[in-house]
Amino acid sequence: MHGDAVRHDRVKYAFIWPAFIIVLVITIFPLIYALTVSFQSVRLVPPLPPRFVGFDNYVDILSSQRFWGSTWTTATIVFASVAFQYALGFLLALALHHNVRGSSLYRVVFLLPMFIAPVCVALIARMVFHPYLGPVNDAMVGLGFGNLPFLTEPALAIMVLISIETWQWTPFVTLLMLAGLQSMPSEVFEAARVDDIGPWRRFWDLTFPMLLPLSVAVIFIRLIEGFKVIDTVFVLTGGGPGTATETLTLFAYNEGFKKFNLGMTSALSFVFLIVVIVFGTIYLAAARRLMKRYA
Amino acid sequence: MENRSLRTIGLVGCLVWLFFSFFPLYWVFVTAFKPPLAVSQGATYIPFVDFQPTLQAFRDAFSGIRGDFFGPIVASISISVVATALSVFLGAMAAYSLVRFEFRIRLASGLTFGVISIGGFVLLNGAFDIDVPYALLIVLVLALVVSIWMNKYRLPGPVLGNNDVTFWFVSQRMFPPIVSAFALFLLYAEVGRAGFPLLDSFLGMVLAYTAFGLPFAVWLMRDFFSTVPVEVEEAAQVDNIGRMRIFIQIVLPMSLPGLLATSMIVLAFIWNEFLFALLLTSGDWQTLPILLAGQQSSRGDEWWAISVAALIAIIPMVVIAAILGRMMRSGLLSGSIK
Amino acid sequence: MKRLLLSTVAFAALGAGTAMACEPDYTGVTLNVSTQNGPAIASALAAAAVGWEERTCGTVNVIEFPFGELYPKFLTAMSQQTGDFDVIGFVPAWLPDFSTFLSSMPAELQEGSNWDDIHPVYRERLMTWNGEVKSATMDGDMHMLNLRADLLDDADEQAAFDAAYGYPLAAPVTWAQYYDQAEFFHRPDDGLFGTAEAYRRGGQQFWYFFSHAASYTNNPSNPGSMFFDPETMDAQINNPGWLRALEEYKRGLDFNPPGALNNGSGDVRPLYAGGTVAMNIDWADSGVLGSTEGSIEGHVRTAMLPGSTEIWNHVSGEWDTFDEVVHSPFLAFGGWQLAVPADSENPEAAWDFVAEVISPEVSGQAIVTANSGVNPYRFSHYDNLENWSSVFSEEEAASYLGAQRASLDAPNVALDLRLPGFFSYTEILEIELSKALAGQVTPQEALDAIAEGWDALTDEFGRDTQLAAYRASVGLPPM
Repeated sequence: MHGDAVRHDRVKYAFIWPAFIIVLVITIFPLIYALTVSFQSVRLVPPLPPRFVGFDNYVDILSSQRFWGSTWTTATIVFASVAFQYALGFLLALALHHNVRGSSLYRVVFLLPMFIAPVCVALIARMVFHPYLGPVNDAMVGLGFGNLPFLTEPALAIMVLISIETWQWTPFVTLLMLAGLQSMPSEVFEAARVDDIGPWRRFWDLTFPMLLPLSVAVIFIRLIEGFKVIDTVFVLTGGGPGTATETLTLFAYNEGFKKFNLGMTSALSFVFLIVVIVFGTIYLAAARRLMKRYA
Repeated sequence: MENRSLRTIGLVGCLVWLFFSFFPLYWVFVTAFKPPLAVSQGATYIPFVDFQPTLQAFRDAFSGIRGDFFGPIVASISISVVATALSVFLGAMAAYSLVRFEFRIRLASGLTFGVISIGGFVLLNGAFDIDVPYALLIVLVLALVVSIWMNKYRLPGPVLGNNDVTFWFVSQRMFPPIVSAFALFLLYAEVGRAGFPLLDSFLGMVLAYTAFGLPFAVWLMRDFFSTVPVEVEEAAQVDNIGRMRIFIQIVLPMSLPGLLATSMIVLAFIWNEFLFALLLTSGDWQTLPILLAGQQSSRGDEWWAISVAALIAIIPMVVIAAILGRMMRSGLLSGSIK
Repeated sequence: MKRLLLSTVAFAALGAGTAMACEPDYTGVTLNVSTQNGPAIASALAAAAVGWEERTCGTVNVIEFPFGELYPKFLTAMSQQTGDFDVIGFVPAWLPDFSTFLSSMPAELQEGSNWDDIHPVYRERLMTWNGEVKSATMDGDMHMLNLRADLLDDADEQAAFDAAYGYPLAAPVTWAQYYDQAEFFHRPDDGLFGTAEAYRRGGQQFWYFFSHAASYTNNPSNPGSMFFDPETMDAQINNPGWLRALEEYKRGLDFNPPGALNNGSGDVRPLYAGGTVAMNIDWADSGVLGSTEGSIEGHVRTAMLPGSTEIWNHVSGEWDTFDEVVHSPFLAFGGWQLAVPADSENPEAAWDFVAEVISPEVSGQAIVTANSGVNPYRFSHYDNLENWSSVFSEEEAASYLGAQRASLDAPNVALDLRLPGFFSYTEILEIELSKALAGQVTPQEALDAIAEGWDALTDEFGRDTQLAAYRASVGLPPM
């Protein structure tokens, strides 16, 4: 028995190593490169010899208003849109799971937004929210609100960005929660039905706790992916007016791919990483406490 | 009674969302048939009523003046399907081992890995001028061997468990892609100079995208596997069936809904990836997002052309979504297995 | 698919006439030619490739990337010497950053009648960097004023305008007249707006701002002092000339359609072509769009950018006044160029292809081909009016070509900013500019912030090297 356990224990490496090696090989060089470069001043244009600057890049970033502004913008967009995505996506998954009339049609249409390239979504949104050629302002004028400056007023622009993110990524939540609902053992629910437990309590006492681990994972992925939002902002507002709608990755993109200020971009990427890890850890800790309460 | 009203609410909610998520798609669809003036003179909604539809934009797209669509479609489909399959399969394997086995990794050995790989690379590449691919290979092997060896001893410090390993996988997705895409481009260029071309190649793209999709696959499949009852596997083990067979013949089929959902998620991410594709491909393996972004031409937003391109890019995904959506019909899969 | 088709055509031609020699023989050579996504520019290159393939038996592979990503794509590939590209199509502003990675044009291409036929502004200024010809212009471009004959020639409008402003309605010669007309034609209730310019961050806004500024800052007595002091490299952008330009540029928002703050140059074009605005400022594209796909067909009129009788003199610190209006047409963007990266494996064939694209015959065809995106840059292009009949009416062609030619020939023509680290400079500019336009800061505050940022960048990149580069870019001798 003991030998058997060890053998089985060994097999776990065969399962995990392929994935581990591929991720390691592809990601380790970028990390090493970025880390070393983040302590230097490296520019491809104009080509200057790299020079070691210690923590200067990090200090510059942390003391720049632009960085804090874009962090704030990003966080607003991400938290608001992920909240909507989760709530709406879960509700839709529940409806689909209970075979609302026409659900086979919804299932395909609901998924589509996720499969459109973000840059395309942004271009479509630009068309839909166009100040006077687009249908939204057409409707607004029809309803008597007049032409709303959706893309030039920072607060409105951020609302538009949130709704676009929600539009595109709610399907993500729907899809996974639906899969989660379908893999739940049906016996429990039948028992509950026999006991005549109402749908409201059935949801909060059974469905929600059982899907909590999946919910945590789904929200987490949306959070870390959401923090990287760039295409929609780039196409819709270009980050303007000023830097009012600039997100962290757009900031990093401009530093890296326009100015080729690689030292600064690398440092920015690490600061970004730390920001996401901080938010992520807080979130996971909170989620774990929640899960314990239900367990 | 209560159930009935809930159903009605659900239906109304679905219809509202259907409108919300379908209207932009409808807009793209009709815009693809609009002549330029039907766009530039205000919003028009219904073909034949508001404007006279034209196929001009489609003709332009297929005649090739807006870029070659055929090549990128083939490249996108082959790269993303292969990379998705690979990352979901390998990710599911890793996730399975994370659910069924216990991993104990000492933080000290993990840190050793980091120190050896980073320090060693800087030393080899900087001081000894060894080419990037070789230096990387040397430090990787060295660091792995040393840290595995160290992990056997009772080192002081905390021990990392399965949750931390999973977190490590997902944390690979937290790093913003701007620098990693550029660094990966540098690495590929160096490997190419060493005689093994990865830039603008199928292998290079599949490798990058597999690593790209793996974290999602590991993280999501772990949650799906955790709901699979362990008893069936234990029965099979008693019959002395190998782990790999158990995994492929029993575990995977039992979590098919999750597997399909995960595949679709990973596929969506890979299908739409832009930055890596931009830097790692040029002529032969250019993917669709690059072509799509290019439709925003210097002549301004030619929305009819953008719409046609968007439609072309989405059609393969509609087919896949329809197939997978059908397979996910509730009860069909999960019911038959359980 | 298309490429396959092209090469089979070339192949068939080869098989059919074995007597046809390859001149020069580039059998087996494949050129990777890369530029932005078509149709503009890319289709012109593809069309030229057909002839080149027939002549030389080589193959051309046109690789397209989104315009916004061309710069990083080219720069990363060339700096890593991947050898991906044999010919690149790019814009003059990037030449300073690219020049170290580019080969120089072979001497035999820099002589003869084909060379002299290129307008000197391109030949001597935009194609050279540090005294060497690094690129070849394949498209001429500048900002122009697009007007509408249906409004300008209307007798009722003329009478009403004269009554209101006290001078006859005609193509505006000064910026003051431009704003008079914008105000006059601004009738939102009728769906007609005064003018259209680009104001969006990331939508080429700063080139529009520069076009205003050239008239007030490009002082003929201090050549090359528009952006920086050519003696000290101190930023000039916060001087009173620039301030006046910014105030006027911002004032134009009152006469633009709603939401103009979010309009890029791409939005400005259909606005004009669709008849929504009375005029616009744009590159040569608006005119072609207006007369081919627009609703103002036959009414397209083009004029040189307005000028001014007052220009700021940064040396004396005063406004210089002139008796005649001085036009300082701004060569914004400056048209697409071709170059051969130094890491190309077939530089000879590549330059041979470039020569084919820019030859008077091939380019003369390209400028009148719909959607080619190629605009005139050779003397011979401006002379052949009849070639333009497929696009323009006779009157339209005359004003369109006349305005371009007049802009290039203007004694006080203003060249675009070309400097290493171009994007670093323009980023600060765009951010502060859009803040000023949105009313978050005053114009003077914005300009001061830009000047401060520019000076800091210049110091970071090395003031001496930047100064030398700047002097070279404006055609001044080294200090």
